Amino acid sequence: MSNSKLYKGSLNTIILKLLDEQGKMYGYEITQKVKLLTKGELKITEGALYPALHKLEAEGLLDVEVAKVDNRLRKYYKLTEQGEKETVNRLAELEEFIRSMQNLVNPDWSIN
Amino acid sequence: MKLTNNQIKQLYTFTRDHFVYHFDLQTELVDHLANGIERTLEKKPALSFESALQIEFKKFGVFGFQDVVEKRKKALNKKYWKIIFTYYKKYFSLPKIILTAFLTFFLFTLLNNISLNVRHYCLIGLFICFLIPIYIQLIKLNRYLKKRERKWLFEEILLTQMGLANLFLIPIHILNIKLNLNNTYILGVTSFFVVVTLLLFHVMVFKIPKKAEKLLEETYPEYKMMNT
Repeated sequence: MSNSKLYKGSLNTIILKLLDEQGKMYGYEITQKVKLLTKGELKITEGALYPALHKLEAEGLLDVEVAKVDNRLRKYYKLTEQGEKETVNRLAELEEFIRSMQNLVNPDWSIN
Repeated sequence: MKLTNNQIKQLYTFTRDHFVYHFDLQTELVDHLANGIERTLEKKPALSFESALQIEFKKFGVFGFQDVVEKRKKALNKKYWKIIFTYYKKYFSLPKIILTAFLTFFLFTLLNNISLNVRHYCLIGLFICFLIPIYIQLIKLNRYLKKRERKWLFEEILLTQMGLANLFLIPIHILNIKLNLNNTYILGVTSFFVVVTLLLFHVMVFKIPKKAEKLLEETYPEYKMMNT
């Protein structure tokens, strides 16, 4: 992942947001989708993606589905009900964080 | 370009050769590698399958699949303990709490009515009596797992509880601690501790393995698919 220190803490939120929008996705699809959306700026490494998916699954935020595609099995991830609620919370947290960072980087010095 | 059945088999062998022994993780990694290889070969058709595989494998970093395997184990262990406590906490709410209280009272009365000199030995004997069937059960479950053609990581966690062998040390610790079992309060706390520990072993070794099939079907949608 480029700028990994800045992105690392947001990986779970990125995954939850993508699944919220797309319904269900498989691991490789997630890496490609993030690459496409960020125009290659953010590359989720395989070594970080699967541990994050497995952790979210163990926490009960993701559910899995398996389908036979071509000549192999494919594991799809989707949000559980609890996962949907958590996505809303985490996105709100992330937005708040972005606002705070913007205030820190570009402080408004004007006197109201 | 789609990979052939033979190439998919090769990918399973490749994951096994790189220390991924469980079918559930192998399957996910095989699909990932296959997607990556297919895309690479579309872009560079002159490349061989083996070279494309190496390109995809390198994306997992210097430790290969090791990190994915370790983190998966950690996540499933967390899930395992959540399940254990779901069953275990029933012994602390009605109606099963009556059984816990009765066993504690029974052990307390028993220890209180025997000579102080043999109380420690009685506790050690109790642990040994309980641990022998546990050990036999573990050997049986290990044999069953060895015979399995496909290994499932969560099944291994559910059935073996690798750290359990260390529990044989508990009676030795009791002997070393030399609790003052003459004190009624300490005797009561010790009785309760022994009962809740043995109940936990009981849940881990006898209750949970019986539910393994159902828990595996819930964890792995592919488990049912493969066993029908």
